[in-house]
Amino acid sequence: MKRFLLLMLFPLAVAAEPATVVRATELKKEPAADAPTISNLSENTAVDALERKGGWTRVKASGAEGWVRMLALRYGGDAAAKPGDSGVSQLFNVARTGSSGTQVTTGVRGLDADQLAAARPNAAEMKKLGTYAATKDAAAGFAAQGKLESKSVEYPQP
Amino acid sequence: MKALLLLAALLISAPAHAQFNFNLNRILDAAKNVGQATGEIDEKQEIQIGRDLGARLLGAAPLVADARVQRYVNHVGRWLAAQTERPDLPWQFGVLDAPQVNAFAVPGGTIFVTRGLLERMRSESELAGVLAHEIAHVLQKHHLRAMQKNAKASLAGEALSMALQDQNSLVRDKLISFGTELYARGLDKSDELEADRLGVVIAARGGYDPYGLPTVLQVLQRMNPDDSGLALMFKTHPAPGERLDALGKMEAVLEGYSAQPRLEERFASETKGAK
Repeated sequence: MKRFLLLMLFPLAVAAEPATVVRATELKKEPAADAPTISNLSENTAVDALERKGGWTRVKASGAEGWVRMLALRYGGDAAAKPGDSGVSQLFNVARTGSSGTQVTTGVRGLDADQLAAARPNAAEMKKLGTYAATKDAAAGFAAQGKLESKSVEYPQP
Repeated sequence: MKALLLLAALLISAPAHAQFNFNLNRILDAAKNVGQATGEIDEKQEIQIGRDLGARLLGAAPLVADARVQRYVNHVGRWLAAQTERPDLPWQFGVLDAPQVNAFAVPGGTIFVTRGLLERMRSESELAGVLAHEIAHVLQKHHLRAMQKNAKASLAGEALSMALQDQNSLVRDKLISFGTELYARGLDKSDELEADRLGVVIAARGGYDPYGLPTVLQVLQRMNPDDSGLALMFKTHPAPGERLDALGKMEAVLEGYSAQPRLEERFASETKGAK
């Protein structure tokens, strides 16, 4: 919580954190594609990540400091190293949790797999949810306040 | 002689025969319901299934008791949904009071994000990225299709026993039961990666910096994967690193709209009551 409060006070400040460049990428002087290139970082270069700005992250790399594309960075303690679920383990899980709702766990709530399976419908809360819904017009007014302008952007081809 | 025996058997079994006809009709009715459950589900049914499933999720974790944050999330979500091909669904958005890091899309336009995930965001564009990913699941009917696929096999096998009971409610219960399990098991990886690609586009359409979603993925990627609050999300989604790799294909859209607003300050002031 304390750490979170600190993040709130300095929304863009991030402590230097070890990261790796996962593909060859340019170290730029500014967070922009057309900024001058300081050096070329090869795949697997270790860097210290400092702060992020849009699609760019400021890093220290072998003495130099500059900006790399955030999509080229992965942080230490990599979750990517975790193997994905195989279909077999998914099937196993269905068999284990079985058809939901037969085993009632009272007093324990939350969104773990078992808690989800044991959940009973809460119609009152569902009704409450509806009272917070926004109209399209209200949402458009809210967007205008934030200076958000809708753009026409195509989906990628599959 | 043989014919006589057969006739006698038919006469003796006349009441049973009538009973059989009656059951056969019910089986045919049940089969028709299986067809309904597995064929095209209309929008009204989709919304009803979503209300049942949404109530289940809210049974696992209630809403955060802060009207301001709930309205805020509804404004962001409704604005994004208006940029899509299903702008007029009864969209509703909620923050679930749970420490786990996750978000859920329910057929028909109901979307949840957990307090645990909201606490790890730092801008409205990040919230928009996550909501847009969930909106994409609804647009593509990912959950509805997965539920139908699973229900189909089970219902076909149970058509006989179903014929003896109230079929409509059974079919619906079946779908809801598979739906709830789906949230513990996850969609196909290809559905998740598609929702990431469409989500980035929807955020850009809404005028946000589309790097919001990749930023959240990078926050997840640097968290300890053994954190229990991540267990279900990691189990039901491709690893964040893999999702970031896949978003490399979207760099043109990401880069083209990256100067759009991120709204860090509005996010901080509107969500402070939820933390």
